Amino acid sequence: MAKTIPTNTMPAHGLKVTQASDINDGDIHLDVDAVVIGSGAGGAISAYELAKAGKKVVVLEAGRYVPSEKFTEMMAVSMDAMYADHGGQSNSAGDIAVLQGTCVGGSTVVNAALCFRTPDYYLDLWARDYGLTNLTPEVLLPYFEKVEANLSIETNKSYETSAGAELLRTGMKKLSLPDSSAKRNIRDCVMTGFCFAGCKSDRKQSMLVTYLPWAAAYGAEIYADTRATRILAKNGKASGVEAQVVDPDTKEIKASVRINAPIVVAAAGPIQTPLLLQRSNLANSSGQVGKNFACHPTLSITGMFDDNVDNFHGATHSLYMDKYTMPEEGGYLLLDAVQDPTEASFQAEPGTGEPYMAYMSRYRNAVRLITLIHDQNVGEVNWNNGAKEIKYFVDDADFEIMKAGLKTNARILFAAGANKLHIPSSQPLSIDSENDIDSVIGGLKNEPARYRYTSFHPQGTCRMGADPAKTVVSPTGETHDVHNLYVVDASLLPTSIGYNPSETVYALAHYINDHINRVHS
Amino acid sequence: MTRMSNSTHEAIRQVNGLSRRNFLKAASGLAVAASVGTSLLGASRAFASMPEGIKVMSQGEYAVMARLMAVTLPTAGTSLIPTSQIPVMQTLDAALLATMEPHILEGLKGGIQYFNEGPKASFGKTFVELSDDQAKRFCDAWGDSDEVPHRALAVGLKKLIGLSYWANPPTWAPLGYDGPVTDRWGIKSLGNAPMPKQ
Repeated sequence: MAKTIPTNTMPAHGLKVTQASDINDGDIHLDVDAVVIGSGAGGAISAYELAKAGKKVVVLEAGRYVPSEKFTEMMAVSMDAMYADHGGQSNSAGDIAVLQGTCVGGSTVVNAALCFRTPDYYLDLWARDYGLTNLTPEVLLPYFEKVEANLSIETNKSYETSAGAELLRTGMKKLSLPDSSAKRNIRDCVMTGFCFAGCKSDRKQSMLVTYLPWAAAYGAEIYADTRATRILAKNGKASGVEAQVVDPDTKEIKASVRINAPIVVAAAGPIQTPLLLQRSNLANSSGQVGKNFACHPTLSITGMFDDNVDNFHGATHSLYMDKYTMPEEGGYLLLDAVQDPTEASFQAEPGTGEPYMAYMSRYRNAVRLITLIHDQNVGEVNWNNGAKEIKYFVDDADFEIMKAGLKTNARILFAAGANKLHIPSSQPLSIDSENDIDSVIGGLKNEPARYRYTSFHPQGTCRMGADPAKTVVSPTGETHDVHNLYVVDASLLPTSIGYNPSETVYALAHYINDHINRVHS
Repeated sequence: MTRMSNSTHEAIRQVNGLSRRNFLKAASGLAVAASVGTSLLGASRAFASMPEGIKVMSQGEYAVMARLMAVTLPTAGTSLIPTSQIPVMQTLDAALLATMEPHILEGLKGGIQYFNEGPKASFGKTFVELSDDQAKRFCDAWGDSDEVPHRALAVGLKKLIGLSYWANPPTWAPLGYDGPVTDRWGIKSLGNAPMPKQ
């Protein structure tokens, strides 16, 4: 007979979260069934599924709780409050901004809500090369369907677009390139264009308004401002977590936390999860914890148009072109995106002083098109003298893929009517004619600190696979070395997948938690 | 390859990695009364007056960044808001630099000093002593340098200055950008999603 788990009343708005400001006691000891580290895509779904199964669950989130009514719709303010390192997280070369949400709800609060099912190509590859024969398209299909229903993942309606996207669409049509409308986890989008700053009216179905309140309704407790410092294990089994509650403004440690739990779910994201495992000296007999980092580097070309386009409100992303996304076809994805002035301010280098201000003065005429590449897992995340270090350089072969993508990108912008293109390089570099695309972009060299990369998709630092000597996490999500210690975030991905990975993480989270609940019924 | 200290390398790494950040909350309300201090980076006729409220930058570092602001963000002859009316340096100092981890800030400070001394080889002067034209040519030359640290600093320091200006909402109107809209458009929140069926 199925167990009936009582639910509390779910508030219509907001979330019950214990924050640093609520803490008066310097020591917190909790005994629970499961502790979940991180409240983003993997953590929130884990909390929900475990709590729904009747387990006593605590969620620890290192970032702040920022309720949506406090979202400012000012990109840079949001970066300061809700992004890792206040938006300043980067690779060790300093030329790739690695953007992640650090707040209750994690990156789902500040992403663009784009959703793609994991391509069968990668599921087949993972089965062949990593022994993930359990993750077949047939097995994962119901999980994709589940999250698509739960998060209102649907193809954009015809009006869910932007002025820039419509221009780019005309360019794609002129070139006979397929234009595709994005699927997003959004209900009744009102197209403010502020996905990256958090959806103030709760249209985006982030974890903040879905799985976290649902988990709380089943009794899960959520702690913000609480950074896990160590995962505990005894006799080869996970036994709990040590953490600190830190005032986000003063950095004062408000409490030391000790949580005893027979199930530990690490869902802190592909940067923090490997760092936590390394600090805990756990799950690393393979030496692969923190290795195999990939991040889908992106470069944006900015096209200047004669007329005002006003590409700042609308759907943040609505259009993509994936004709060349599979590795055999090219390995790159093109995406449109609106941008606010602070974003536009560093997308191009027209020349110091007057040329730069002239470029910014034509902000209304600017449209950017993003090139995202499927990259090799050539990076790693480690501690270096007490600070995190993301060692990643764009691989030479990947850079050639980027160049191919930039050429297509440039052709689309010209076909759409742009009269000048700015290449995101360290020196002034523009293209004034379609005839110059091949010579300008073909001449680019792969050099550090030469280009203005952004990554929205770190992944791959705790690879999932069947071989304990080569991977960190088993095909069911449990670490090879430590029983009852699970990893549920994008660090699982054995390879990069060339598309936004959020739906892959959502589906894997459900899949892994089904396993946890079967084993720990 | 120019030899550089570890702290300078760290500065380059961090400064180039700094991304879209707005420090309005910390910058707002800061006084801009002038107070002239002494040089830490060497004698310079170009050292700017340092406003009250600058707590993280030294006098010398302030002078470098203020000079960079002047040559990077010229508004004469445009409809853009002059930097004298925007708390650019206060934004940079109070909200950006003040929130950095100490070891990162130390590296950044080294990077600013290295940048200031960069033009000595080609111009025989520090950055703060260059004319406007020389300073712009120096920035563009370093942006296209074969030396990685030069490129990183040229991009990174200008990026910080640009962000500290454009993050301030008064700079938006001349661009035709209208800023936040949800409240202005009267959009209602949908609140939490209903519990799922599965």
